[in-house]
Amino acid sequence: MTGVAADVDDVVLLTRGLSKTFAGTTVLRDASLDVRRGEVHALLGGNGSGKSTLIKLLAGVYDADPGGTIEVQGVRADAGEWSPTLARSAGLHFVHQDPAVFGSLTVAENLAIGRGFARATGGRIDWRRTRRHAAEVLKRFSLDISPDSQVSTLRPAERTMLAIARALQDQDGAHDGVLVLDEPTASLPDWEVDILLGALRKFAAAGQTIVYVSHRLSEILEIADRVTVLRDGAQVVTREVAGMTEGQLVELIAGRSLDRMIPARVGDIGKERVLSVRGLVAGPLRGVDLDLHRGEILGIAGLLGSGRSGLLRALFGDLPATEGDIRLNGAPYEPSSPAAAIRAGFGLVPEDRGAEALFASQSVRENLSAAVVPRYWSAGRLQHRRERADARGLIAGFGVKPASDAALAGTLSGGNQQKIVLARWLRRDPLVLMLDEPTQGVDVQARADIYAHVRRAVEAGTAVLLVTSDFEELALAADRVLVLREGRVCAEVTGADIEPHRLTELSYLSEENVA
Amino acid sequence: MTMTTNREATVGSVTRTTSRRGPELLAQLEKYALAVLFAVLCLFFTVYGQTAETFPTLANIRNVLGSQSVVAVAALASILPLTCGKFDLSVGAMIGLSSIVTGSAAATHQLPLVTAVCLGVLSGAVVGLLNGWLVAYRDVNALIATLGTSTVVAGLISLYTENQVLTTGIPEALTDVGSGLWLGVPRTLWALVLISALVYYLLRHTPYGRYLASVGSSPTSARLVGLDVSRMVLSSFVLSGALCGIAGVLLLARAGTANPLVGPGFTLPALSAAFLGATAIKPGTFNVVGTLLGVLFVAFSVNGLVLAGAADWVEPTFNGVALLVAVAVSPAISQRRAGKA
Repeated sequence: MTGVAADVDDVVLLTRGLSKTFAGTTVLRDASLDVRRGEVHALLGGNGSGKSTLIKLLAGVYDADPGGTIEVQGVRADAGEWSPTLARSAGLHFVHQDPAVFGSLTVAENLAIGRGFARATGGRIDWRRTRRHAAEVLKRFSLDISPDSQVSTLRPAERTMLAIARALQDQDGAHDGVLVLDEPTASLPDWEVDILLGALRKFAAAGQTIVYVSHRLSEILEIADRVTVLRDGAQVVTREVAGMTEGQLVELIAGRSLDRMIPARVGDIGKERVLSVRGLVAGPLRGVDLDLHRGEILGIAGLLGSGRSGLLRALFGDLPATEGDIRLNGAPYEPSSPAAAIRAGFGLVPEDRGAEALFASQSVRENLSAAVVPRYWSAGRLQHRRERADARGLIAGFGVKPASDAALAGTLSGGNQQKIVLARWLRRDPLVLMLDEPTQGVDVQARADIYAHVRRAVEAGTAVLLVTSDFEELALAADRVLVLREGRVCAEVTGADIEPHRLTELSYLSEENVA
Repeated sequence: MTMTTNREATVGSVTRTTSRRGPELLAQLEKYALAVLFAVLCLFFTVYGQTAETFPTLANIRNVLGSQSVVAVAALASILPLTCGKFDLSVGAMIGLSSIVTGSAAATHQLPLVTAVCLGVLSGAVVGLLNGWLVAYRDVNALIATLGTSTVVAGLISLYTENQVLTTGIPEALTDVGSGLWLGVPRTLWALVLISALVYYLLRHTPYGRYLASVGSSPTSARLVGLDVSRMVLSSFVLSGALCGIAGVLLLARAGTANPLVGPGFTLPALSAAFLGATAIKPGTFNVVGTLLGVLFVAFSVNGLVLAGAADWVEPTFNGVALLVAVAVSPAISQRRAGKA
């Protein structure tokens, strides 16, 4: 767990007064970070806490506001002058969530590609030396893989390890340099996480300094020596991890104590049940139970990778369910395709509007009718006039600008595109409308309009499943919220308890603490 | 104060309308650019000394129109897969196959003409089915898949015919269609008119056509509004194959012989016309009227140049240049219109 006993004064990475302002909004204020040689230092914070900004400042990707300083292993510079080159030469190495390894190349090639291949006479690649170097690096990082393996055949944890080895291969000893791991486990399944953590623990024991960014608190408790917590762009605390509990970490991240967070469970709300899901297993989902009632907005909260979008996809017939029982108005419901789900009365506003919802090269009218084309098929032809009249009605009703049914959908602003996608489904009076991040990239006015329309549909009886990372929005819009965590519903929040802080806390909590 | 605000508002609205009218005018120009170019071209060959005598005659026009129906049907066939975003490079091969199948069924095997024609059309549809299966269900790149099938088809034709042209025994009922006139217009042209109307109807006035365009615009969005994307792609290739089958029959009717080698030559002119067509009438979209205009434009250009004394090299060169210009221009058009540029 703990690396070699580090000299307390031997600070290898030090920042002072680090700030960053975007267009008048300060996202990071006067942040200080001090990382000691040979320790695993966790960096924690919720969405918008300034954590990613801090990492990007360290990497030299963003320019800091003037006034701060960054010092790495004696290389000291004004934070405003810090650059990627400076970061690299000072010994900061970054490995991100999605390790940039080349799947179709071999391990040896991947290790050589950043630093240059060993050359033989005539400039050709000296494969023998390249392989030998690779074998040495793999041995040094205790990676039991062959230099000749193709990277795509490696398991996910090994790929991340390879990226780490590549970043650190030219470092002389384990005591030099700082390895910054940015959410290395976010896309890894549990058993792969264990493998990766095992390897990291070995590095740490050998004296490697690691800055570790992760949402998974159990990992932090397992691997980190000290932790720095950021909240609302400011550093809250830096302290030893030993002896801390998950609850205490959550308290630091969310800024309030644990005792007020256990939600009151409510039973049946006593309304007409439209959809009931029991033990749904599909993709990232590991047994989800939920009930959805007529005229209800049910919010789904959770972190990235918790299975939020997967749940909507499974209900929409776009992600096959392997287990579970779904009932729609009491009757068994097993959607085999989106077409079947739509016939059953579902509608989905997907997360990635541009790629998954919009037909950019088709007109607004065609986009509006995309899910109701057969309605206009009569007397052996498409009734374009009737379609146009309906489209104009919807455009006026939803306040789409420009108010033209012939404009190509791709030319509209994000908010207007989203109104079109929403109108496409609402015109069908869906039984269940599912919204995945419906206000992403949408301006404030359009956002209000969108929720006004959703609310109207709900009052007319539509049941809504709402997924959004914006917990403020969830608090405002949802009648009830389920918190998903690692593919399961871990909590249910109702009424006045639906409140951004609590949702953040619950998203981080593990099941033991809720039960 | 009020005065100033009013004036500012007026000025603002004036600039807005003029700035909006500019692109609108440009869009109109874009729509009819090919048609205008075509008219200018015809006018030029009509007054140009060396072609003035022959170009504007009824006989010449009939001849060009009559001979272009095969290319035109091939172009119409190719715009179906193109509408859902897939190339079909096998149109020529399917035309050749159909003309050989129909010819040998009628002449060598003495089958009734109707049966022979049906077999020809069916042969195209079967190749289309193979294309569609490879592209839609095996996830093969459409260019490679259709290039592959077209090569295989050419090989099989060569095996069956031993590269001999089938010259005797083609039923007169068929060759009459190829050479005859009806109401003063070549009969093959009537066939083209009928097929154009059919494809136009399919693309513009049926849900199927709308779905094809949606799949071409965004396959993922299409899936998430409940369309069976694979089936759309498959069916577009089958229809393309069947239309090429008809084009093959027209080729046989017009030539009076079944030549195993001419088929593949139709692919490039068909694609040139389709892409030229996508720059006109409904710019950014493959459309029937634009495609026909594309065929006419290329045909009369080549005809005029040949009459003016240019040699054999003109036709392939012109076709190639037309295709390159069209494909170079059309992505810019569609991107700008879709708001990406």
